[in-house]
Amino acid sequence: MTKELTANTKATLLLTGPLISGRDARAQDLLTPGEFKRLERRLDELSSEPADLVSSDATNLIRECDDVVSSDRLEQLLGRSFLLGPVIESWQARSLWVTDRSDPLYPKALSSKLGDDAPALLYGCGDRGLLETGGLAVVGSRNADADAMAFAEHVGSQAASAGITLVSGGARGIDQTAMLGAANSGGNVVGVLGDGLQGAAINRDNREGLMQGTLCLVSPYDPNAGFNVGNAMQRNKVIYALAQAGLVISTDLGKGGTWSGAKEQLDRFHFGPVFVRDMPGGSPGLDALRTKGALLWPNPETSEEFKQVFDQRAPVDTSPKSSRLTLF
Amino acid sequence: MKFDPRRALELLREGSGSSTAEFRAGQEEAINHIVDGRGRLLVVQKTGWGKSFVYFIATKLLRESGAGPALLVSPLLALMRNQIAAAERMGVRAATINSDNQDEWAEIEKRVANNEVDILLISPERLANERFREEVLSSVGAQISLLVVDEAHCISDWGHDFRPHYRLVERIVRALPANLRLLATTATANSRVLEDLHEVLGPDLEVSVGELSRDSLTLQTIRLPNQTERLAWLADRLDELEGHGIIYTLTVRDAYQVADWLKSRGFAVEAYTGDSGDLRESLENALLNNQVKALVATTALGMGYDKPDLAFVIHYQTPGSVVAYYQQVGRAGRALESAYGVLLSGAEEGDINDWFIGSAFPSMHEVSEVINALEDEKNGLSLYEILSRVNISMGRVQKTIQLLSLESPAPLVKQGSKWQLTASKLSSEFWDRAERLTSLRREEQQQMQDYVDIPFGQHMAFLVKALDGDTSVVLPPKLPELETTARVDTIMAAEEFLDRVNVPIKSRKKWPMGGLPNSSLKGTIAAQHQANDGRALCHWGGAGWGSLVQDGKYRDGHFSDDLVEACVRLIKNWNPDPAPTWVTAVPSLNHPALVPEFANRLASALGLPFHPVVTQTTERPEQKTMENSSFQAGNIHGSVAISTASVPPGPVFLVDDMVDSGWTMTITAWLLRSSGSGPVWPLALASAGSGQ
Repeated sequence: MTKELTANTKATLLLTGPLISGRDARAQDLLTPGEFKRLERRLDELSSEPADLVSSDATNLIRECDDVVSSDRLEQLLGRSFLLGPVIESWQARSLWVTDRSDPLYPKALSSKLGDDAPALLYGCGDRGLLETGGLAVVGSRNADADAMAFAEHVGSQAASAGITLVSGGARGIDQTAMLGAANSGGNVVGVLGDGLQGAAINRDNREGLMQGTLCLVSPYDPNAGFNVGNAMQRNKVIYALAQAGLVISTDLGKGGTWSGAKEQLDRFHFGPVFVRDMPGGSPGLDALRTKGALLWPNPETSEEFKQVFDQRAPVDTSPKSSRLTLF
Repeated sequence: MKFDPRRALELLREGSGSSTAEFRAGQEEAINHIVDGRGRLLVVQKTGWGKSFVYFIATKLLRESGAGPALLVSPLLALMRNQIAAAERMGVRAATINSDNQDEWAEIEKRVANNEVDILLISPERLANERFREEVLSSVGAQISLLVVDEAHCISDWGHDFRPHYRLVERIVRALPANLRLLATTATANSRVLEDLHEVLGPDLEVSVGELSRDSLTLQTIRLPNQTERLAWLADRLDELEGHGIIYTLTVRDAYQVADWLKSRGFAVEAYTGDSGDLRESLENALLNNQVKALVATTALGMGYDKPDLAFVIHYQTPGSVVAYYQQVGRAGRALESAYGVLLSGAEEGDINDWFIGSAFPSMHEVSEVINALEDEKNGLSLYEILSRVNISMGRVQKTIQLLSLESPAPLVKQGSKWQLTASKLSSEFWDRAERLTSLRREEQQQMQDYVDIPFGQHMAFLVKALDGDTSVVLPPKLPELETTARVDTIMAAEEFLDRVNVPIKSRKKWPMGGLPNSSLKGTIAAQHQANDGRALCHWGGAGWGSLVQDGKYRDGHFSDDLVEACVRLIKNWNPDPAPTWVTAVPSLNHPALVPEFANRLASALGLPFHPVVTQTTERPEQKTMENSSFQAGNIHGSVAISTASVPPGPVFLVDDMVDSGWTMTITAWLLRSSGSGPVWPLALASAGSGQ
């Protein structure tokens, strides 16, 4: 776990990471995901990579990237290099790891599904092998009713019994309930957090799973980052990308993170089938997702049936079928 | 950045205050290397060579070309005043951040933000401090242009000088990208240390190594097993030796004892230890300005101390390793034609070095106790909460927590004021390393014993060879061998001195943190119920009366009349005021007569009545098995009772055989005073308080 970071990871941290060690993050002129993407392309044209920007003599290379990102700005960001020392050290002491898109350890599902829109950095704690196991993404609102919560717990526990990894966002409400359902039945769980990774990694409720290798917590955001609505939205696509299929348990109509995350999948990304909970009388949010192509969750009863939902060669018959359904 | 040799020389001359100064071999190249940003550099040069000129001049040149400030990590900040003064002469603005100047941090941070600081000096311990990381490093860190790691041998496991926080420095260095300028410096690095540094600092590390031999030093070793002989030898030789020097002892207790002895013989000497606190600077200056003949010091007077005309370094006991010894003795004769480095070897040094070696790491028991206590508490525990749950001394708990928290990944981390378990178990590598380092320390200890036994004239070559240096350049000693024995009358005087030594017992002013277990007593002990400061006749197991007390307690079951007489003399010199009018004793159910019987004889010798008013009511585990305040105080409380009806109102001597934590005395005194006695003066035969 204390394996040394690659020079590419270090460079990516300097260019895009806030490297928060204090309570309040300072305003820094970090590269946006778009700017970093353009810089990577320029470096690629120059047969270079981000690592070359942190070699002992990078002056010329920095100059050659000037039209993409000004030399002054690059030098200012790369000049933060000392800061990496204490910050990385503190993450590693807390069993946190970080990886960048070019790292072979970066989750393959993210690079293959998101390409260079994948988060430039992924921070985490726990066994990263779990990130390669696919699984079921369970999403839903923070303030769901008791039925929805019971259902979330049930699905989590079923996923565990079927040996399917449960991927969720770690927020209170549906996320945590589904994760707990899986964890209590001895299943594998991946939590994709929008904030507070460092606190979650120390939280004693997570300790057992992290130590046993049955829980992996990840975040595209600095382990010390505080809550931010934009981040919470962004991490939705990571949740869907890590899983093979998604299940929406409850959602508002036309607003909120659950809605926009699912809508984005159905309208644009199509990382895998999106299911919605089959509830008597339906709900405006879930019904609207169905009209966009979401499938009705088939309510598998046995582990075999549950696994079949993930068997791409024999998709479970769920009607009405959406014309826009894309399997992987 | 382009190196300007003319400007560099100009700065050297400003800094050294000499208009004709020239760079020493290697200095200019090193500065050039750093300024040009040609990669990481390790400079291995003996103390006095001028490593500080390298980083101060490099810093100044970098600053003049618009770069950010430098950060220097050194364990020796307190001793860098000379170097900082030189830096200021060349216009380098230095600021130090340490645990003693927290109220200045905000100001220094502001100065850094305003670009008014050129080099920031911190200790490695700062890097582990949450507040420093959050409030200072988070802003300053983004501008650092050069990192200097002083005493870089500490990064290596094979470095003689195990400083736990250098594990942190090592990991920080590993996390740094190549674009940060990095200079590592040390005075001593044998091949193994160099290998480690290559591994940590990277394969492209440039190394600049100087010569090890010190031609001005005449080295000598003398075995004198008894403390009396060594004290006498020091007194005899100090009369003859020219100039001013340092006498090193292994323990704080010995530093004070040796200094007291030499003072009693009329020498102008002072003790210098980790306990010297605010006096340290004035003591260093007293030696620099030749106001004292010598400082009697522990290693607290460490690596960075620079007095070019130091004429002798004498060791009262053998240090644990060649590197430690070379560093200490190498302080003599830097700018003199000749100087003495004499090592006295005593019988007790083996035990002391064993203790240092044995206590460097926590035991498996200590680690599992602390981890188990934390396992039981989901929300973590503060240091004091841990102490109330584990029967381990505060020092050992702190050491355990510190070493565990410096692991990576760490099994525990501090979150706010509480220690909390992480998602990682302590790796078995921790124990492997502890074992490896312990056996290395044993080898080093043996190597120093070999050194003691070699004949006069061969010592420097032995040291240079042990440090993997070039022995072909070693010259023979310039000074004659010193007399190896002491005069008989001086030895007798030293014996008398040791018999008169006694140990103060500090009275406790506060109940244990969190309150006395099972009672409502907490916070400050009411002044009228506190014990007064007392005295112990000797250190448990120490020179002087130590062995007689030990025999009385464990062999004879009876303390001899010599000890009664010694206590009478002690009391005469001490002269406590108000003078006690009666004597009482701390009883024990295990040895009911031992202490009261002795106290009774002492009372008769003093012409005072003996009233055995204190009784032990319930059997408790022996107090010495209680390892920290919570447990110690809790063990006594409720087990001691006073026959209140017979407590006389006057001041009283409270006699016990041993005093360690002082809780027995504190609680018994509290009970006596609550029962109407006058002031309580504790008197013990031996103090087992750690003098280490």
